[in-house]
Amino acid sequence: MRLSFLILLLPFAACAAGNDGDAFFREKVRPILSEQCFKCHSHEANKVKGGLVLDSRQGILTGGDTGPAAVPGDPEKSLLIKAIRYEDDDLKMPPNKGDGKKLPDASIAILTEWIKLGAAWPDEPKGQKMTARPRGVITDEDRKWWAIQPMAKPAPPKLGAHPIDSFILEKLNAAGLKPAPPAAPEQLARRIYFDLIGLPPTPEQTIRFTQAAKADSARAVAELTDELLASPRYGERWARHWLDVARYAESDGYRADEYRPTAWHYRDYVVRAFNSDKPYDRFVQEQLAGDELWPGDADATTATGFLRHGSYEYNNRDVVEQWTTILNELTDVTGDVFLGLGMQCARCHDHKFDPILQKDYFRLRAFFAPLSWVDDRDAATAAQREEYAAKLKTWEEKTTDIRAQIEAIEQPARERSRKSAIEKFPEDVQAMMLKPDGTRTPYEQQLHELAFRQVYFEWARLLTHVKGDDKDRLVRLQKELSAFDADKPLPLPLVPSAADVGPVAPPIRVPKRDSLGDIEPGFPTILDETPAKLTPLTNSTGRRSALAKWLTNPENPLSARVIVNRAWQYHFGHGLAANASDFGKLGDIPSHPELLDWLARRFVADGWSLKKLHRLIVTSATYQQAAAGTQVATAAKAAATIDPENKLFWRYPTRRLDAEQVRDAILATTGELDLDQTGPSAGADKPRRTIYTKIMRNTRDSLLDVFDMPEGFQSTAQRNSTTTSTQALTLFNGTWILARAKALAARVIRESSSDEAERAATAMRVAWGREPSRDEITGARKFIAAQSALIDAREPEMKPVTLNTDKMPFREGRGVVLTSGSMERLVMKNSPSFPDGDFTIEAFIVLNSLYPDSQVRTIASHWDGSKAHPGWTFGVTGKQSRYKPRTLVLLLNGQGTLGKDSEAVFSALNLEVGKPYYVAASVHLADRHDGITFYAKDLSNDDLPVQIVTVAHNTVAGIRGDGDFTLGARGTKGHVWDGIIDDVRLSRVALPAEALLLNSGQQLHEATVGYWKFESSSGIYSDSSPRGNNIEARIAQSKPADPRAAAFVDFCHVLLNSNEFLYLD
Amino acid sequence: MPCSNFDPLFTRRDFLTRAGGGFGALALSHLLSGTSLGAAIADKNPLAPKKPHFMPKAKSVIFLFMEGGPSHIDSFDPKPLLNKLAGQKIPESFGKVITAMGEFNSPLLASKRQWKQHGQGGLWISDWLPHTAECADDIAVVRSCVADGINHSTGVCQMNTGSILAGRPSLGSWVNYGLGSENQNLPSFVVMQDNPASVVNGPRNWGSGFMPAVYQGTRIESGSEPIQFLHNPDGITAEQQRGKLDFLKTLNSHHAESRLNSELEARIASYELAFRMQAEAPDAVDISKETEDTRSLYGMDRKETAKFGGMCLLARRLVERGVRFVQLYSGAGSKWDAHSKIESNHGKLFGETDRPVAGLLRDLKQRGLLDETLVVWGGEFGRTPMSEKGDGRDHNPTGFTMWMAGGGVKGGQTIGATDELGLRAVEDRLHVHDFHATILYLLGIENLKLTYRYKGRPENPTLNEGEAYRKIAG
Repeated sequence: MRLSFLILLLPFAACAAGNDGDAFFREKVRPILSEQCFKCHSHEANKVKGGLVLDSRQGILTGGDTGPAAVPGDPEKSLLIKAIRYEDDDLKMPPNKGDGKKLPDASIAILTEWIKLGAAWPDEPKGQKMTARPRGVITDEDRKWWAIQPMAKPAPPKLGAHPIDSFILEKLNAAGLKPAPPAAPEQLARRIYFDLIGLPPTPEQTIRFTQAAKADSARAVAELTDELLASPRYGERWARHWLDVARYAESDGYRADEYRPTAWHYRDYVVRAFNSDKPYDRFVQEQLAGDELWPGDADATTATGFLRHGSYEYNNRDVVEQWTTILNELTDVTGDVFLGLGMQCARCHDHKFDPILQKDYFRLRAFFAPLSWVDDRDAATAAQREEYAAKLKTWEEKTTDIRAQIEAIEQPARERSRKSAIEKFPEDVQAMMLKPDGTRTPYEQQLHELAFRQVYFEWARLLTHVKGDDKDRLVRLQKELSAFDADKPLPLPLVPSAADVGPVAPPIRVPKRDSLGDIEPGFPTILDETPAKLTPLTNSTGRRSALAKWLTNPENPLSARVIVNRAWQYHFGHGLAANASDFGKLGDIPSHPELLDWLARRFVADGWSLKKLHRLIVTSATYQQAAAGTQVATAAKAAATIDPENKLFWRYPTRRLDAEQVRDAILATTGELDLDQTGPSAGADKPRRTIYTKIMRNTRDSLLDVFDMPEGFQSTAQRNSTTTSTQALTLFNGTWILARAKALAARVIRESSSDEAERAATAMRVAWGREPSRDEITGARKFIAAQSALIDAREPEMKPVTLNTDKMPFREGRGVVLTSGSMERLVMKNSPSFPDGDFTIEAFIVLNSLYPDSQVRTIASHWDGSKAHPGWTFGVTGKQSRYKPRTLVLLLNGQGTLGKDSEAVFSALNLEVGKPYYVAASVHLADRHDGITFYAKDLSNDDLPVQIVTVAHNTVAGIRGDGDFTLGARGTKGHVWDGIIDDVRLSRVALPAEALLLNSGQQLHEATVGYWKFESSSGIYSDSSPRGNNIEARIAQSKPADPRAAAFVDFCHVLLNSNEFLYLD
Repeated sequence: MPCSNFDPLFTRRDFLTRAGGGFGALALSHLLSGTSLGAAIADKNPLAPKKPHFMPKAKSVIFLFMEGGPSHIDSFDPKPLLNKLAGQKIPESFGKVITAMGEFNSPLLASKRQWKQHGQGGLWISDWLPHTAECADDIAVVRSCVADGINHSTGVCQMNTGSILAGRPSLGSWVNYGLGSENQNLPSFVVMQDNPASVVNGPRNWGSGFMPAVYQGTRIESGSEPIQFLHNPDGITAEQQRGKLDFLKTLNSHHAESRLNSELEARIASYELAFRMQAEAPDAVDISKETEDTRSLYGMDRKETAKFGGMCLLARRLVERGVRFVQLYSGAGSKWDAHSKIESNHGKLFGETDRPVAGLLRDLKQRGLLDETLVVWGGEFGRTPMSEKGDGRDHNPTGFTMWMAGGGVKGGQTIGATDELGLRAVEDRLHVHDFHATILYLLGIENLKLTYRYKGRPENPTLNEGEAYRKIAG
C-alpha cells in the first residue's frame, strides 16, 4: 500500500493576507497567539501566568499584572511587542527556557503589524471559544503540530553510556538539574519485579539480586530483566495494561449486565502475545483485521475480540441507534488506542482544537461500516475441528430419533417466540427482518443480525415458552438425550469475533451534511487526504486490513510514538507526552521529543518488540534512579521551582501499586497466590491472579474498586491513584483482608523460627522486600507485646465463629458464603415453632458449583439425614442426579398416603451456576393435589419472568424432625452448599405467590418462623422474626485465642496496610 | 514574571494542618483543571469547599429518584384528550416514536385519576399525591423533560451522568468535584434506596466515571452500620483497633519522611478520617433522636410510608450536616416500571412516597433549610399514553415530568408542556442536559465552565450541551 505522507512536505498555500483584517487575524495572528501564548495566557491555560489572558481583545487591552499588553495602533508602546522582541531582560516572551525561544522575525512582524492596524479581533461565531478552529480548514499552523511530523532521526547526545540517559541528561543539564543517585539494590529489585511481572520479589530473590548487583550492577539488572521478561508472569502483568486501553470487560454493561462466558479467550490471547513478544505491528493487525489477514488462524480470530468489547444492550428495540452507538464506540476507541487522537470530539463538529475534521471521524468510522459480529468461529486447530466433527456425527446418529421428537416440540415454540420478539421492533426493522435471507442490503443485514440477537435470547430460554404437557415431555426427552452426553464432543472454543457483512460496505454519511456525499474510508485529512486504497476480498471489503496496514506502516508518525509513549508511562508513571491517548494540542508537547522519536524508531527497527523496549528502558540509569532518601530530598530542593513535577526525570517517582498489583501482592505475600494460567475467569474470592478474575462492568469487587481499577466502559490511558476513607475502611475492617492477615501470620509462623523477633523480621522482609532495621524489629516487638496485653485483658466473648459474608450480586447487602468442604454449620436449635405440616421455604442464593456425584447442594434442611427419621431438605441436584442436574428439589421424609414415605420432589426448574436467584418452595402437605409450588427467579435480569412449577407429591404428614434446623447443609451429613446464601425465610404455611418475599414488601407475618438476613446491621446470625430462632454457627469454637498469636496477626494486618507495602519506590 | 502557584514538595506538615486531615490526594493538575473555582483550588484536599462560579441559590441537593419511570400523565400532566380517545390508536398526527416494548400501536389508555388544581399557582396534581399537592406552592413542575434512552439502563444512566452510555461521572460527583464538601467527616455524596434490589446498572449510577474515586457517591443504610466496613471487625475491640492504627501511623510517618509524594500523607490522613467517620456517621443516621411529631410528619408511623419516610428524614439530617448531594431511590430495581397494572403499581408506590416527600418539604421549610436545599423529583422517563398489556404503560423518554422545589426555585409554577396526549414535549423542552444545567445553575455552577481534564480533553457535566432554565428561579 502506498502512503502519501509526502503531503506533509508540500508547502501550504497560504491565504492572501493583508488589508483584509479578519482573514489576516484568523490566518496569521491567531495561530501565533494560540501556539505561542495561550498555553500560559488564556482561559484554557492550566495556570494563567501574570494574570494576563491573550485570548480576547478585551484581555489584551486590560492586560495583566504589569499593565495593558497592547496599545492599539502603537506597537512601540505595547508591552506585548517589547516582550516578544526581547527588548527588556525582565520581560522576554515566550520565556527563553525549556522549549521556549524567541519568536521568528516573521511572527514578530505579523504581531507588530496587527497592533499597528488596531489589534482588530473579529467576532467569533457564537458558542465557540476563541481558540476554536475555523471549520473544514487545515491551516499552516495545524501542519506544525508535533504529533504528525515525520519521526525525526536524532542521534543521542554523547552525554551518557546509555542513549536514554544521554537524552535525559541533556535536558537536565539545560535546566541545571542533576539526576538522583542510583536506587539501592533492594529498592531496585522490588521496582523491577513489580514493574515487569506485577509481583513482589521473594526475600530470596531480593538477596540473590542484591548480591549479584554488588558484584556487577549493570549485569545483575540485565540478567534479572531477561529472566523476568521470559517469565509467564510478565505477560500477565503487561497484558493488563493493554486490557485497560482495550476497554476489556466480561459483561454487557447494561441493565442485565450479562456475563460474556467466552470473552476471556481474548485476555488469554493478549497474555500470550506479550509473553511471546508478538511484534506490535502484527498485534495491531490481528486485532483490527485478523479475520481478513489470517482467516482461520486461532489467534487472529480471537484477536478480533477487540472489536467486540464495547457494551451491548440485549433488549434495545431501537437497533438503528444502537448500531450507530456501536460503530461510534469502535471509532472512538480506535482513535484513542492506536492513533492517540481524541477522535470523538470530531463526531459532531470539526475538532475544536486539533486539526481533525468532522469528515475525518466518518472516514475512520467507514473502516468499520461493514462490520458484522460473529459468534460461531472457534479458536481451534484443524485437528480439533476434525475430531469434533467426527464425534458429533456419531452422537447425532445415535440421537436422531430423540432429537427429532425434541424438535417437534421446540420448533413451534421457537416460531412463536421468534414472532413475538420481532413484533417488538419498529415496523421498518420488522420489514428488514422478514425479508428472505440474501435479499437484504448490507445495512439491512447488519440491523437484522443485531435485532435477531433478541430472538436468539428468547430461544436460549425456550423452556419458558413451552407449556403444559409439552413441557413435561420436553424435560423427559432432554433427560433421555443427556444419557448420550458421553458420546457428545466437548464444544469447540467459540470466541467472540468479527467479520465484514460482505464484500460491499453499506454507505456512510455525515449526519446533516449530505453535501459531503458517501464517505469513503480514509485517514485523518492532515495526514493523507486521499481515500484509503482497498483490496476487497471475496467476503470482506478489506477496509480494516487497509486501516491496520496504514497504522503499522513504519513511517506512520503516530503508531510507534503512541505505543512507545505508553510503555514509557507504565515504566515511569508519566509519559514523555503527557496524554497517552491524546497527542492533541490541549496536552503539553512532549518533554523529550527527540527521545520519543529515537525510541519509536528504535522500536520499529527492533521488529516492534516490546521486550526489547523494556530491556532498553530498564537498563538505563534514568530508570534506576533512587526515589527516596536524603540525596533525593536534596535534589528535590534544587528542582522544586524548576521541575517540581519531575517532568525531566531527575528521580524515580514513588507510586502507589495499582489495583491488581495490590491484590496480587497481598496474595503473594500470604503465600496463597494461585499461579494457574489461562482459562475461564474466577471469582475474586479465589486466589488466582487478578487478571484472571471475572470483570463484571456493573458489579465490581470492592477492593479493586477502591484502588481505581477502570470500569471497562472506555479506553483507559492512565489510572487514577486516589486515597479515600472507603479505601481505608476496606483495608482495615474488610473481611477479605483480615483473612489474608491471618494467612500471612500462619505462613510466617510456618516458615520461620519460633523466635518472635525473627518472625516479625520475616514478615517485614516478605511485605517490604527489604531487611528491617534493628529499631524496626524492636518497634514490632513492642507493638506485639502491647497488643497482646490488650487482647489478653479482654473480657471473654461468646461470639460465635465468624463466617465470611460477601456482597450478593444484583441485591444490596451481604449474604453468607459457604464453601464446599467447609466445617461451618448454620444451625438453629429445634423449636416447636418449626413447621410440621404446610410450610414455605424461601432464599436468595448463588450456587458456585454442583456436586460431581448425586449429592444435593443444600439450601436448608430440617433433617438429620437418616432415612429412619422424619425431615425435609431443600436444595439443588448434583451432576449425577437420577433426575437431572441443576434442578431445584425438595426431599420429604414422612408419612405418605400408603405409609412411611421418602420421596424426592423434583421441580423441573434448572438453576445456572454463578447466577443469583430467588428460590422458594411452597408446600401444601396434607392436600397433595395442591402440590408443592416451586419458584425460581433469575435476579440478574429483571425482564425474565419468575419461573413457577407446581408438582404433585405423596407425602402428607409427619415431616417434622427432632434435630436441628440447618442452613447450607443436611444436618451433619454433608450435602453442603457452595456459594452465597442470603435472606432465608421459613414460614408455617404454604404461602400464596403474592405473599412471597419476592413479591411482597412485608417481611414478617404471623406464620414466619424465622427470617435470617445475614446483615451486620441486624446481626449476621440473628433471626429478624420475633420468634428469636437465632442461628448458632456451630463450628468447634476455637479456644480463647492465643493473645500473642492474635497480636501477631494484628501486626501482619498493619503491614498489609502500610504505605511501604502499597507504594513502590 | 510571577512565580507559579505550584506548591513546593516540602509541605507535608502544612498540608496536614491546612487540609484538616485531608481526605485524599490526586495529581494536582486534576485540581487545577477545576478552572476558576475559587482560591481553595490550591488546597490539596480534593473535597475542600470551593467557591462556585457565581452566587448560589442552593447549597445542597436532595434528588428523589423514582426508579423505573413514573407516569407523568397520571400525576402532574393531565390530558383530557387521552380519556376521550381511550381505546383508540394514537392519531397519526402525533407522529411515531420507538417504544421499548413495541407498544406504539396499542390502544390509548385512559387515566383513572381525579385531577384538581392546587395552591396559589394552581398546579394540576392528581389524587395519587394528596400530600405533595399541599406543598404545590413550593414546587416548580417541569412538564417538558426529554431524555434519549428508551430503556431503563440508558435512561437511568443518562439521568445520573448526562450520557446514555456508561463511563461518565454522575451529577453528584461533578457537584462534589466542583464545590467540595462542607463536612469532611461524612461522605459528601450519599445514596440510599428503599429496598435491597439492585438499582439498574448498580453502583456506577453514583460512580465518578473517569474522575477519581474520591468524588463518587457512598451507599448508606439506616441501621447500625450505615457504611460498608464502618465497624470494627468482629472480635476486635476498640483498644485493639486503636493500637493497630497508632502503629500503622508510626510506620507510615517514618516511611513518608524520606519520600516525595503528598499521597503518602493523604493516606495517613485517610485512616484518621475513616475513624472520625466511624464516630460521626452512626450519629448522623440515628433517627431515634427525632421527635414523634417529626417522625410522623414523614409518615414513619405508618407501615406503607415508614421506609421512604425514614430515608427522607435521614436526607434532611445529612444536608443539615453539610452533605452536598443526597440521592434517594424509590422503587429500586425498576419498581415504578408499570408495563402492566399501573393502577396497583403506581397506587402503591405513590402511597409509599407521597407523604414522606411532602413531609420532607415541610420539615425543610420549618427549619429554614428549604431555601438552601434543592429538592428534585422524578424518574428516568415517563410513560406512554398508549397502553401495554391492557392496563399498563410503556416507557416514554420523549416527554415527561420532573419537579424541583426549594433551593431558590420559584414554587407554584408549571414549566413547559407536552402535546395533547403527553407523548412528546412541545413547549420549553428541557433535555436532561438542560435539566442538569439548571440544577448546577442553582448551585452556582455554570455547566460548561466546570471542566475536568480527561485524556487531555476538557470534559464537563453536560457533554458540551445544556442550558440552564434560569426562569425556574422566578
